[in-house]
Amino acid sequence: MSRYAFTGALLFLCTSTGFAATPYDQLLEDEANGADWLSYSGGYRSERFSALAQITPQNVSEMNVIWAYQMQATGLSGAGLQETTPLVAGEIMYLTESPSSVTALDTRTGNLLWHWRPDIADEVLNIGFPRINRGVALLDDSVFVATLDARLFALDAGTGAVRWETQVADNAVGFSLTLAPLALDGKIIVGVSGAEAGVRGFIDAYDSTSGELLWRTYTVPAPGEPGSDTWQGDAWQTGGGSTWLTGSFDPQLNTLYWTTGNPAPDWNGDLRPGDNLFTCAVLALDPDTGAMKWYFQYTPHDTHDWDANQIPVLVDGMFNGRERKLLALANRNAFYYLLDRESGEYLLGEPYSYQTWAEGIDANGRPIVLPNTEPTREGNLVWPSLQGATNWFSPSYNRNTGQFFVPNRRMGAVYYKADAEYVPGTPFLGGGEQVLDGDNATGAIVALDVMTGRQQWEFELQTPPWSGVMATAGGVVFGSSNEGIFFALDAATGNPVWNFNTGAHIRTNPMGFAVDDQQRVAIIGGRTLFVFGLE
Amino acid sequence: MHHSRLILKVCCLLTALAMSSVLQAQNIETFESPILAMTEIDLSQGQGLFQVHCARCHGMQGGGGEGPALSRPRLTHAPDDQALYAVISQGIPGTGMPATWAPRPRDLWKIAGYVRSLGRLADEAMPGDPVIGRAVYESKGNCASCHILNGKGKGVGPELSEVGLRRNADYLRQSITNPDADQPKLTTQSRGTINSFLTVRAVSEYGSFEGMRIYEDEFSVQMRDLNGRIYSFEKSALSSYERDFGHSLMPGYGVILEDTELDDVVSYLMSLKGDAR
Repeated sequence: MSRYAFTGALLFLCTSTGFAATPYDQLLEDEANGADWLSYSGGYRSERFSALAQITPQNVSEMNVIWAYQMQATGLSGAGLQETTPLVAGEIMYLTESPSSVTALDTRTGNLLWHWRPDIADEVLNIGFPRINRGVALLDDSVFVATLDARLFALDAGTGAVRWETQVADNAVGFSLTLAPLALDGKIIVGVSGAEAGVRGFIDAYDSTSGELLWRTYTVPAPGEPGSDTWQGDAWQTGGGSTWLTGSFDPQLNTLYWTTGNPAPDWNGDLRPGDNLFTCAVLALDPDTGAMKWYFQYTPHDTHDWDANQIPVLVDGMFNGRERKLLALANRNAFYYLLDRESGEYLLGEPYSYQTWAEGIDANGRPIVLPNTEPTREGNLVWPSLQGATNWFSPSYNRNTGQFFVPNRRMGAVYYKADAEYVPGTPFLGGGEQVLDGDNATGAIVALDVMTGRQQWEFELQTPPWSGVMATAGGVVFGSSNEGIFFALDAATGNPVWNFNTGAHIRTNPMGFAVDDQQRVAIIGGRTLFVFGLE
Repeated sequence: MHHSRLILKVCCLLTALAMSSVLQAQNIETFESPILAMTEIDLSQGQGLFQVHCARCHGMQGGGGEGPALSRPRLTHAPDDQALYAVISQGIPGTGMPATWAPRPRDLWKIAGYVRSLGRLADEAMPGDPVIGRAVYESKGNCASCHILNGKGKGVGPELSEVGLRRNADYLRQSITNPDADQPKLTTQSRGTINSFLTVRAVSEYGSFEGMRIYEDEFSVQMRDLNGRIYSFEKSALSSYERDFGHSLMPGYGVILEDTELDDVVSYLMSLKGDAR
């Protein structure tokens, strides 16, 4: 029997027996299961770590392209950039294509199984970010996708047929959804984009079978609510604090960890005096009610657009002689933080990148801000740039070695302050920036000791990256560059051991899976998905 | 006349988006760019809108950043004002350029007017005689040994057929007398604005090489030497690799040309506006 005939038979067999179902129990085991990649960060702890060890620094040079998939043209203007992380459940890969389509591929061949495209008007608002999407969530026999026009869909995992849809928020005032949803037990969690349009951010939980809204937690408090004393007047109504990146989940503590973005308007803080809680923070939520257990604000009263929408990685280990449950996050503001994820207690804040805005972090976790680092009418040079020392693209954590790998942008910017008037559905920015780019800016992949934030090694990049990393049990770290190079580093030393030119800008995260026990690694360069293996 | 008035009345009722369609439809007969009639106040308002809507990527002065520099007379995706309006209002498919969601078409036109003003150099008086300058360019200057102009010459340095559209007299004089001071930039989507004639030096097992960088990534570099030969090196195979930011491979002509000859060559370059094509 030929390989393809066998594949076809297997697909038929599996489909008829509930193929592609992803029960919650399997999501709990995602980290240990190297063959699948069932959620955005490869597990609730958001380690973005592949448990597969077949590919090593010694044999990675033999890695080849197994198949490639060319993404489809949508006809929608401005929708060519790809930031999705593909998921793999069994024999099927699920990925999104910008702005909000979903594609299911055969993991053996890359052949198309189904493609679903929502009807999105070209007039859809995407204020402050491109027309992208970062991926789907899987639960039971459904695929969940959040759309640019602020809807949430449940699709049948086998066919792409719509099971339900719900309007999460109003796109006409600037709400949009670009993140990969997070599936919990019977719930789908999503957050919103739109702080550059002056939205009031929130996190939602939906019933996975009915689409019913279970709870909504706002990230900017209304008058009288906890934290409302950090706002004045009506500024809270347009206060930002969007929630545009997938969070993490600790099933033992029954706690959801979700990060929040910048206050609005971005660069003119005069219009919103105060710390502006709960922007630029991480929130610990009860997933059953949405109630806030604790919060930690990384950048109070941010005026540089340093959203805290980075991946919160859940780490267990000895910190200062005590076994603790930790939350590690390399922040856009150039500091690496450790928190106690049971209590929210601040434990560590160390710079991992060149920065000129803070003397350090005080004992309570509050930055000691240097004078004259605010945006001004004339312009003020500060490191890092508004895109930060890192951004949404994922770090990776190898719990076996205690290494935390971060894609690092090394770029300064002249920050400007300008007037801002809130008009619904239009940019609400209050300034801008002029970056120091070209040869003035570089990047790196840095390896940090997860418990101290100290740098172990760095691999320098030509330009500030816009793509994530993935470490593997085989001792390899996969990363990418703006120049389109997908590369492998020796995790122990940072030395490059393999590279491949995809021919286009890479702005996605790598992920890994297996086909017939053969390790696979995937990355998207431009509009093409490449799957690599040792064959 | 009656028909025109009716159109005018209908226009007043149309939404912002529909108005742009009407403006495009006018092109079927004659299109007069609203930019032509703009006042300094319009352009100033356009600058304010630009800083809110565009500067995030294109820089507060339009000098580029995450997006390309716009202080150029000819924009790749906007050969005319209508195309520029379309780019601003609708974005550019397949790139990072989104649609600009200003509320009203007249605001979008003000942004377009300001963007055009960034690339419009004031008419300057020429310091010398462009006809004599051309003769110096072709004889004593030997400029064609490195520059292509209207299809003639050697492609080592920048192409000069439209240099008068992009550069003013001071910049041209500096480029001739002190080329180390600045070099032309190239804008790429992923890398921002980079020095496109950066001097690089590489030493490999085959010898030492000096030239101008064409492209560079983490693992390799491509360069062109003064003879126009192109080289590609794996960085890991080089015993040394150097980027010389303050140095141009073009010689300074301040000691070669007389002051009047400099004025004449500057004038000749100022006169080059692509008209010969």
